[in-house]
Amino acid sequence: MTDIASLRPLAAVLVPALAIVAIVASHRRPNVREGWTILAAVTTFALVASMVPATFAGDAYVTDLGAFVPGVEFALRADALGMLFGLLASFLWVITSFYSIGYMRGLAEHAQTRYFASFAASVSAAVGVAFASNLLVLFVFYELLTVATYPLVTHDETAEARAAGRKYLAYTFGGGVAVLAGTVLVYWLTGTVTFAPGGIEALSSSDPTAARAGFALLAGGFGVKAALMPVHSWLPDAMVAPTPVSGLLHAVAVVKSGVFGIARVVLDVYGPATVADLGVGLPLAAVAAFTLLAASVIALRQDNLKRRLAYSTVSQLSYIVLGLGVGAFGGAQAALLGGLLHIPAHAFMKLTLFFCAGVIHVETHTDDISDMAGIGKRMPLTMAAFAVAAAGMAGIPLVAGFVSKFYLLIGTVNAGQLVFTAALLVSGVLNIAYFWPIVYQAFFEGEAADGHDRKPLIENPLGGRYAVAADGGGHGAANGRGDASVSDVRARTSDPAEESEERADADGEYAVDRYPSDHTRPGETVARRDGEVESAEHAAEEPAHDEDADEVHHGGPPAGGWERRGWLGEESTWFMLAPILTAVAGSVVIGLVPSAVAFLGLVERIVSAAVATGVVG
Amino acid sequence: MIDLLLTRYNYVAVVLLLGIGAYMIIESTNLVKKVVGLNIFQTGIFLFFITSAYRVGGSPPVLTNEGPYVSPLPHVLILTAIVVGVSLTAVALALIVRIHAEYGTLDEDVLREVRANE
Amino acid sequence: MSDLLPLLVASPILAAVAVLALGYKFERVGWPIAALASLVQVGLAGTVAARVYGSGRTVTYELGGFRPPFGIELVVDGLSAAVAALVAVVALGVLAYARRAGPRSIAFYTQYLLLVAGLSGMSITGDMFNLYVFLEITGLAAYALVASGDSGRAAVGALKYLIIGTVGASLFLLGIGYAFVATGTLNMADLSVRLAEVGYDATLVRASFALVVAGLAVKTALFPLHTWQPEAYASAPDSVSAFISALVSTVSAYAIARVIFSVFTVDFFAAVPAARTAVLTLAGVSIIAGSALAVMQTEVKRMLAYSSVSQFGLVVAGFALANQAGVVGGTVHLVGHGLMKGGLFLAAGALAAVAGARTVDEYDGLAARAPVLSGAFAVLALAMVGVPPAVGFVGKWYIALGAFEARAWPIAVVILASTLLTLAYFARLVERMYFRRPAAGTAPAGAAVADGGSDRPAGLSVGMVAVVVVVAILAVALGSLVAEFEQLMQPTLDTLLQL
Repeated sequence: MTDIASLRPLAAVLVPALAIVAIVASHRRPNVREGWTILAAVTTFALVASMVPATFAGDAYVTDLGAFVPGVEFALRADALGMLFGLLASFLWVITSFYSIGYMRGLAEHAQTRYFASFAASVSAAVGVAFASNLLVLFVFYELLTVATYPLVTHDETAEARAAGRKYLAYTFGGGVAVLAGTVLVYWLTGTVTFAPGGIEALSSSDPTAARAGFALLAGGFGVKAALMPVHSWLPDAMVAPTPVSGLLHAVAVVKSGVFGIARVVLDVYGPATVADLGVGLPLAAVAAFTLLAASVIALRQDNLKRRLAYSTVSQLSYIVLGLGVGAFGGAQAALLGGLLHIPAHAFMKLTLFFCAGVIHVETHTDDISDMAGIGKRMPLTMAAFAVAAAGMAGIPLVAGFVSKFYLLIGTVNAGQLVFTAALLVSGVLNIAYFWPIVYQAFFEGEAADGHDRKPLIENPLGGRYAVAADGGGHGAANGRGDASVSDVRARTSDPAEESEERADADGEYAVDRYPSDHTRPGETVARRDGEVESAEHAAEEPAHDEDADEVHHGGPPAGGWERRGWLGEESTWFMLAPILTAVAGSVVIGLVPSAVAFLGLVERIVSAAVATGVVG
Repeated sequence: MIDLLLTRYNYVAVVLLLGIGAYMIIESTNLVKKVVGLNIFQTGIFLFFITSAYRVGGSPPVLTNEGPYVSPLPHVLILTAIVVGVSLTAVALALIVRIHAEYGTLDEDVLREVRANE
Repeated sequence: MSDLLPLLVASPILAAVAVLALGYKFERVGWPIAALASLVQVGLAGTVAARVYGSGRTVTYELGGFRPPFGIELVVDGLSAAVAALVAVVALGVLAYARRAGPRSIAFYTQYLLLVAGLSGMSITGDMFNLYVFLEITGLAAYALVASGDSGRAAVGALKYLIIGTVGASLFLLGIGYAFVATGTLNMADLSVRLAEVGYDATLVRASFALVVAGLAVKTALFPLHTWQPEAYASAPDSVSAFISALVSTVSAYAIARVIFSVFTVDFFAAVPAARTAVLTLAGVSIIAGSALAVMQTEVKRMLAYSSVSQFGLVVAGFALANQAGVVGGTVHLVGHGLMKGGLFLAAGALAAVAGARTVDEYDGLAARAPVLSGAFAVLALAMVGVPPAVGFVGKWYIALGAFEARAWPIAVVILASTLLTLAYFARLVERMYFRRPAAGTAPAGAAVADGGSDRPAGLSVGMVAVVVVVAILAVALGSLVAEFEQLMQPTLDTLLQL
């Protein structure tokens, strides 16, 4: 294992960082701006990919920028584990860039420059996380990643998005503090925080209590971004972000940076042997097992597609953490292998799923699963990809998820931890339980027969008596008529719009916005929402209000049912369809011929390095 | 105890001055009286320094006098400190003049009310 | 070369006199003279710092040729060189900003130069009474500067500052008196030896420490002795708040470190652990209470002022830990905070000039109207929160490491939690700036990019924006230089910590 001094790791971090400047500078010319995004994405991927051969040869490219603080070099090192994450993030950025363009333009979103700049910053930080050569540098990029993602979470600028952003910052910075404390503790114990395959040697001989505390702080801190329960709840809320963000960042880059941090801690800071000695692997695996079961159960009950996917992410991330926790037991390398391989496997599959959700949103403004009956007719290609990826999630063979889960199962059996084996199997069943209804509804159910019939009863308690207000001109009309609703309307209108918005913001209580949809007339809702930030999305929805008062919040099929579209991309633009197909193809390739893709080789190399040194040390 | 107070009356004076000064700064609502309190407080400290210079039978530290001398250093220091104190008082009074011109009152409580309504 | 030391104090005083003398004849002479003096100051401080760091030794100068401990001595070591350089650089930056932002009276430039003289004097003196005199010069200039705002509010704020500040300085003087009575000397180096001879358990010595630290803590504005500070910062003109917030408390905190290490020495802490515990507690409470109060403010400048209360808790905690990492961290954060907080006040002032935004609510949607300033403000805020690799993070890393090494677990927890506390008050500003639309009516029609375009508002100059941006860049860039700075500091640290 030799280190090759090279600027390539640094360049991989800097290219997206420089792209930020270029993107901001060309903010007046969207086509040029998107060109920069694509160029940076491709360049970054090429740079990372160019380092793969050396990694397989057992070498690592290193950029050393000198001492950061005494005893800690600010160095970037592209070792096998770093390559695994770096390759994944940079490759999926290319795909997501195209998708983003289609998505953002499809919805005519505001603040696209900020969006693309933040996206580039996030990827830069993610690659930095991948190539960090020690805990402190990892922490640096980990925090920068938090900062860079925040504008994306809050992108909508609604009260709901701001609340989600606040929650996101509070959770992840809280985790960051724990990571920092753990880093300081490790540094204090050993005088170094540099990653070493098989762990930092001095840690195995240091004070066990302090070492355990350090592990708890580090794993707990990274666990926030890895969405381990009970610190997962920022993730479903962050789904308010645009879908490409949910896809790349909240299924791949950000959450995986947490998982990646735990992997670094287990493999390169403590080392599997020390983790086993300290007995901290089991609690970690137990938390992960609880999370993956509980999150699957919660996912069953989510009607919003993106929230269901979010809870699925929470659950799937814990597979990886479980693998890392169990892998510390003797003879359970298979679990490590499975856990690490699940990083790319889950990334490809979940990206597909999120992309599908995004296309559905752009094309039909449908967000809830209950409105998706028969949508397979409208978007055949999308829903087919969705079905394949969902099958992979559940661990059905020939898709990526099967391979990693297979290794995980073997690992848990080898480790003698049959409880975890059972948890994995149960979770697999639950996966099917929450994905199958979506696929079933899309292809095998007609929209007319679906549960839409119940909604008018619930939402229009007075039987359409106020239908006249639904055109949005409710105030004037109601006052003029002077019927029973006047006082009600006045009570509302006398509230200055600003004030009510202010109150909602202060409490972060976005439910206020939703409240009228259940109990008052849709026209009110429109008026209030207009007081809010008018996103293009809402503007686009408005024409529908006049025709069908039921459709204020939900998409769902148009009055005549879904129109049928062909299988050759008539359902949307290729800007979005091509990335979906690429991602789903990726997950199938990993499932069919895992050894042909770089990831399995990388994972094997990581595990053998960590375990071999661990045994010797 | 009584004896101690009688022989160390300088220190008693110091404590009294400090106490009176601090009380005036905190308790008086009149801004000018606060500044007066500040001066009394500082005078206490000056007295403390000068007291430390005293020695039994010492004469003023002038070369024509016979020794032993009292320590000249604290006297010099306090001369400086007095100058500082005078400048402080000047600045404080200038500020008070401005406050009075602006708000028409020197009473802290009234001032607070006036400013709350601003 | 050591002849340069008195010039550090004398040159701004002479320039102040020159401004005053010429000012009544030629009204526009103030800024050029002040700028020249500031440039000279930067040159002097830079030369002295280069000399100190280059040779690794302290530079001393005997005033008037009287040999210490009888005469007054000027001493520059690694710590004071850093502070003196900070004073010079910040002064120059503020002056560049103040050219457009004002105040532009002759009185302002005079007071400004006197303040520079006082601050430089505080950072390089080696004599306790001399420190008191410079403390009062600094104070006087600062009171007058705060009052240079037009409003009556500024005068009230200044008077409050004056009364509390004077009480603090008087306590400090009383503490010096105790030490003087105990030892008969005022020279710092001499005091450290004599105090040890008297014995650290003597009541006189302990009382002296308590009074000196309490007096300086008032000037540093540690909770609960901070009450003068928010109103003074909030009511002063923007340039002045930036200048004072960046330097006056900073140099007072430096004085605390100087007193702890050069006068009472680490042996005192070893002999009287209660003293160290007391200072650490004061610092810890300050961190938490300052942040909590900052969150509750509606006025941006008051919020920044309370933030200072919290951040100086961090600095003093670093010094009170009294180990290598703690002192390096304290120094780094002292300098870093000076830059960042000065920059934040300048940015707040510039944003007020662009959009009239002075309260938290008025920051809604500012990013769209002043992208450059908002960006700089956000960067500085994040640096202050301690997002790596900015200088705010590096200081915090060292201080946390120092707390771990000293096994001071409660303070370690507080230091780490301070990240979240700081985040609590800065995040809401940044959120408002970027993710809210301004309330209807406040935004002038078509007010596009206000700080980068050609149609600038009258109150804003390129220089103002440039200064803010440069500070933001510095806040990030300095973080990477800290490792080398520690190397340069090493000889000083060895002396201070008696390693």
